[in-house]
Amino acid sequence: MAAVAATAATKGNGGGSGRAGAGEGGGTRKKKGPGPVATAYLVIYNVVMTAGWLVIAVGLVRAYLAKGSYHSLYYSIEKPLKFFQTGALLEILHCAIGIVPSSVVLTSFQVMSRVFLIWAVTHSVKEVQSEDSVLLFVIAWTITEIIRYSFYTFSLLNHLPYIIKWARYTLFIVLYPMGVTGELLTIYAALPFVRQAGLYSISLPNKYNFSFDYYTFLILVMISYIPLFPQLYFHMIHQRRKVLSHTEEHKKFD
Amino acid sequence: MARLPADGAGAVCPGPTASSAVEILDAKTREKLCFLDKVEPQATIAEIKTLFTKTHPQWYPARQSLRLDPKGKSLKDEDVLQKLPVGTTATLFFRDLGAQISWVTVFLTEYAGPLFIYLLFYFRVPFIYGHKYDFTSSRHTVVHLACLCHSFHYVKRLLETLFVHRFSHGTMPLRNIFKNCTYYWGFAAWMAYYINHPLYTPPTYGSQQVKLALTIFVICQLGNFSIHMALRDLRPAGSKTRKIPYPTKNPFTWLFLLVSCPNYTYEVGSWIGFAIMTQCVPVALFSLVGFTQMTIWAKGKHRSYLREFRDYPPLRMPIIPFLL
Repeated sequence: MAAVAATAATKGNGGGSGRAGAGEGGGTRKKKGPGPVATAYLVIYNVVMTAGWLVIAVGLVRAYLAKGSYHSLYYSIEKPLKFFQTGALLEILHCAIGIVPSSVVLTSFQVMSRVFLIWAVTHSVKEVQSEDSVLLFVIAWTITEIIRYSFYTFSLLNHLPYIIKWARYTLFIVLYPMGVTGELLTIYAALPFVRQAGLYSISLPNKYNFSFDYYTFLILVMISYIPLFPQLYFHMIHQRRKVLSHTEEHKKFD
Repeated sequence: MARLPADGAGAVCPGPTASSAVEILDAKTREKLCFLDKVEPQATIAEIKTLFTKTHPQWYPARQSLRLDPKGKSLKDEDVLQKLPVGTTATLFFRDLGAQISWVTVFLTEYAGPLFIYLLFYFRVPFIYGHKYDFTSSRHTVVHLACLCHSFHYVKRLLETLFVHRFSHGTMPLRNIFKNCTYYWGFAAWMAYYINHPLYTPPTYGSQQVKLALTIFVICQLGNFSIHMALRDLRPAGSKTRKIPYPTKNPFTWLFLLVSCPNYTYEVGSWIGFAIMTQCVPVALFSLVGFTQMTIWAKGKHRSYLREFRDYPPLRMPIIPFLL
């Protein structure tokens, strides 16, 4: 669910891919791009986010070199990871106010699922933070996000290098299953601790007449990956075919 | 949805004697499905649909959507061929809307479910709350009152569907019934589970809270019913005319002065009353989701009133007076 997140938002999350992913709908539904102020803001936002995820990437590499081991690297990048992943919530706002032409519902779902994994699972269940599965999705997210945010930045500036476009529509083939694996293993590892501590759970009787079992909820979340993962993965494969083949045709004409 | 193989293509449909010709193409494949060579210029879309059904019996009229543009809006049944911007041979594009089901059937299934499901929880049938609670009764008065209100609400809706509502659109897609029933039945079960739970906690402010909630609930139920009656009187049986609804002698309808869809305002009010009465979070959530959906509908209706009537009262808002 979460790793899909960013990658699946192919329909112009940065306003740019409307242009970059050109040819969709043959121009019949071409929307106006954001105004100059909005564009400037979006460029800044995407540059900051690219930089933020680069900081995380560098942090991971440095910590690895210093430690000589890849275990527990999470602690070395915990703060920027939380900060920049939470910052992705602004993307929902961008869609809501219309400066980015993606669906608010889809974007919310994608961003929230990641924020959920960062705060409600990894942050809340200290015991899983040292698991290697955390590193698995953190690496997948980091690479994905660096490419995705730079893709938006370049698209907004109308100078999208082919390599970025190619990377955005290619690396997900590996990164996406990798991220999903990391996420699922992390949630799975959190289950016994959640149950033991009764984390975020409410039981009857209480004056709100409501009960909630976070343990069951997490299991349902894991099950929800079964229908969602293939759907989004093949959607991306389809997008890849559409976007990359289109560009190659154009190259011939150039 | 099963799509007809090419055997129907190019078939000449029997048409009445007169001038215009109509060809019907599949909106997706552009395949020619039917050619009506003699259609009266005064023919309506409804009549063309009937003619089309003769060669393609699997697409009964309610299933058909005919448009001038493959991706454009569906033509209305009342549209007359002559008045459409087409030449002597009109090209219409056909889309299959899928299996249809009548509104009445949908409403009845939607509403009978919650009525029945709620009672299962109320009577604590086995396999819900544990064996020792089977067929026991709650010691809290409010639980019995809530059951009465809930049942009354859905019985009222069922009776209104049968005897009050006049549907301007006869059918809806079959798949809607699955979606709507999941929503209504699921929420009913979820709410009923907590309200009738042996560990239910009665309202914090006791009978005062319950009395206030009951008052809100009853007023809103009466209001909702009054609006449904007013809307019924607005539309003569069998017609599809649309008029601006105005307040009548019944004070409950005076809300029409301020909102376009007071039936929704009252409906939301009823659920807020029910939420206060039961002091149950799932009921509050149901009210919130219902409010969101009804606001969307009310905005749509409000917009169409504004489009249709130039003299539409400017003070009116879609669902909440002065606000929304």
